[in-house]
Amino acid sequence: MNARADLPPPRPTPDPAPAERVLELVPHRSLTPKTARIFIVSVAVPTFAVALMFTAQGFWPVLPFAGLEIGLLTWALRASMRSGLERETITVTEDSVIIRHWDRRGVQSSVFPRHWSRVTLHAPPAALHPSRLVLESRGHACEVGRFLTEDERRSLAVRLKQLVGNMNETPAL
Amino acid sequence: MAHAHDAHAAHDHHDDHGPAKGIGRWLFATNHKDIGTLYMLFSLLMFFVGGTMALVIRAELFQPGMQLVDPMFFNQMTTMHALIMIFGAVMPAFVGLANWMIPLQVGAPDMALPRMNNFSFWILPFAFTMLIGTLFVPGGAPAGGWTMYPPLSQQTGEAFPMLIFAVHLMGASSIMGAINVIVTIMNMRAPGMSLLKMPIFVWTWLITAYLLIAVMPVLAGAVTMLLTDHYFGTTFFEAAGGGDPVMFQHIFWFFGHPEVYIMILPAFGIVSEIIPTFSRKPLFGYDAMVYATASIAFLSFIVWAHHMFTVGMPLAGQMFFMLATMLIAVPTGVKVFNWTATMFKGSISFEPPMLFAISFLFLFTIGGFSGLMLAIVPADFQYHDTYFVVAHFHYVLVPGAVFSLMAAAYYWLPKWTGHMYNMKLAKAHFWLSTIFVNVLFFPQHFLGLAGMPRRIPDYSTQFADWNMISSIGAFGFGLSQLLFVYVIVACIRGGEKASDKVWDSGRPHGLEWTLSSPPPYHSFETAPEVK
Repeated sequence: MNARADLPPPRPTPDPAPAERVLELVPHRSLTPKTARIFIVSVAVPTFAVALMFTAQGFWPVLPFAGLEIGLLTWALRASMRSGLERETITVTEDSVIIRHWDRRGVQSSVFPRHWSRVTLHAPPAALHPSRLVLESRGHACEVGRFLTEDERRSLAVRLKQLVGNMNETPAL
Repeated sequence: MAHAHDAHAAHDHHDDHGPAKGIGRWLFATNHKDIGTLYMLFSLLMFFVGGTMALVIRAELFQPGMQLVDPMFFNQMTTMHALIMIFGAVMPAFVGLANWMIPLQVGAPDMALPRMNNFSFWILPFAFTMLIGTLFVPGGAPAGGWTMYPPLSQQTGEAFPMLIFAVHLMGASSIMGAINVIVTIMNMRAPGMSLLKMPIFVWTWLITAYLLIAVMPVLAGAVTMLLTDHYFGTTFFEAAGGGDPVMFQHIFWFFGHPEVYIMILPAFGIVSEIIPTFSRKPLFGYDAMVYATASIAFLSFIVWAHHMFTVGMPLAGQMFFMLATMLIAVPTGVKVFNWTATMFKGSISFEPPMLFAISFLFLFTIGGFSGLMLAIVPADFQYHDTYFVVAHFHYVLVPGAVFSLMAAAYYWLPKWTGHMYNMKLAKAHFWLSTIFVNVLFFPQHFLGLAGMPRRIPDYSTQFADWNMISSIGAFGFGLSQLLFVYVIVACIRGGEKASDKVWDSGRPHGLEWTLSSPPPYHSFETAPEVK
């Protein structure tokens, strides 16, 4: 006889971590650092080839302009790649909404009480401008998803409204 | 370092990111749609400024003899008309279209470098104020032709440094625009949009941006050398000091010929978007179109000397440049074939964008054929610097590039404004433009073949009849454009609501048609699917 058969069934282990949902927002970039370098070389080679051809003939003032231009292109691409490193996470827990924003200046965080928060997709202040997705609570506000496309921001607004709920409302996670 | 705070003490992101109010919205614009709008409105203004100068030219040429202006002012008008139309009207219009459409078509939230975008636009009003300001300085505006050939251009009065600086500013603006476009296309495409899935307008702009980046330093270097020859004692182009003025022509046209394609490749892209929509068929030979565009861009680097066959060059050089030029007919022919094949057995409808696209197809081809005639060296010796050349490049640039811009405006205007425009007036604008553009430029073929030189304010009486007809065409064409402005302004101010797809009966492709009209919507009734 198995004495253990008389024991009550074991209780399910309680979840040690409180329920939370994390939304991570990342701007999309098509190039990797390697393909970005290949791209710069593919533009610089013909540009410098032309400039060097004229320089060899004695018309050297073409060369500094080519250098300036490729320098500007390289800076522009680096800036675009760097802005692609921006990150935003929206963590919705039982009682709070935490927004963290990473950019080249570091990390900025804001915490809102979930029960007293509201998600609003603001109409653009001028025609043809992007809408603004804002989390608001007690007179404070934090904009999220600025780097998203209009479509993506709209989808995010719907998802956030489901998660955060309206003012004085706490939907189950 | 991450720090979490209570909302009361937190870094508050509630700084107002919205646009400034009033004029500030436009001065500090970083939104691609606002900047695109600024570019296109500026371009429209320049069309009228440059067009007015063209009407001065045609008014003077209405009859033989000198009637209205003195010859010096006439030469100023021809020079300024060209500079304003090329750098102030056509190029900014294409950059404006790129600003408006490329982020929408590649699924990017904005252009890659919004502040640089603002800067590249706002350089332009300063550049053109300076250029137009030359009309009021002692010695008048530049009068040696837009090509600025030395030694003639060195005789320009006080306008000379203003001209050079204005050209530098226009070049800087173009370069910044091109860099923004190329970085946006290469780095900000939506996930899944590989290069060979891009809309053809985006492809043509990518190749155009490559061309711009490759040749703009050549223009900047060339005009800088003119400046140093003038003021700093260098002799790059002065024969007396061992320089070579003909070399300026080589350098200028090394920039200038790709520049021609910079003004026509995006036009090919526009037409390639419109014809499938109103033929209700996919574009025939998408890959071939891309490769043909790239081939044209490559060939544009090795044909420059066909602009200057008569300066004297070795026979082998003449043969090379003649054959290379004729070779361009092959990829261009591929394009014309593919547009025709797209329409073949299509269910075609004739809305204003399609009318302009079809007109482009026929009239640009006429410009292409006259280009082939000019490519033949012995024939070019006869045609060089005659009105035949004027007819050729105006057929390529007006019913070519400009008609494609009008087609683009009529195609995307409802998407931009959210309103449909008056179809009847737009069609009237099309017919008036198409008829008068031919009345204006077709007789110039006959004038050129009969030997009338270009850039002259007076002519032999044997050329009187065709000149009179050409001038009537010019005024008809110019006045017809007031209708264009009226249709645009009326559409901006209101009108029947455009649907998201705009051309519901057509078959528009591309991401821009999945957005509402106008694109940024801020309210929604149906929840989109959450990704």
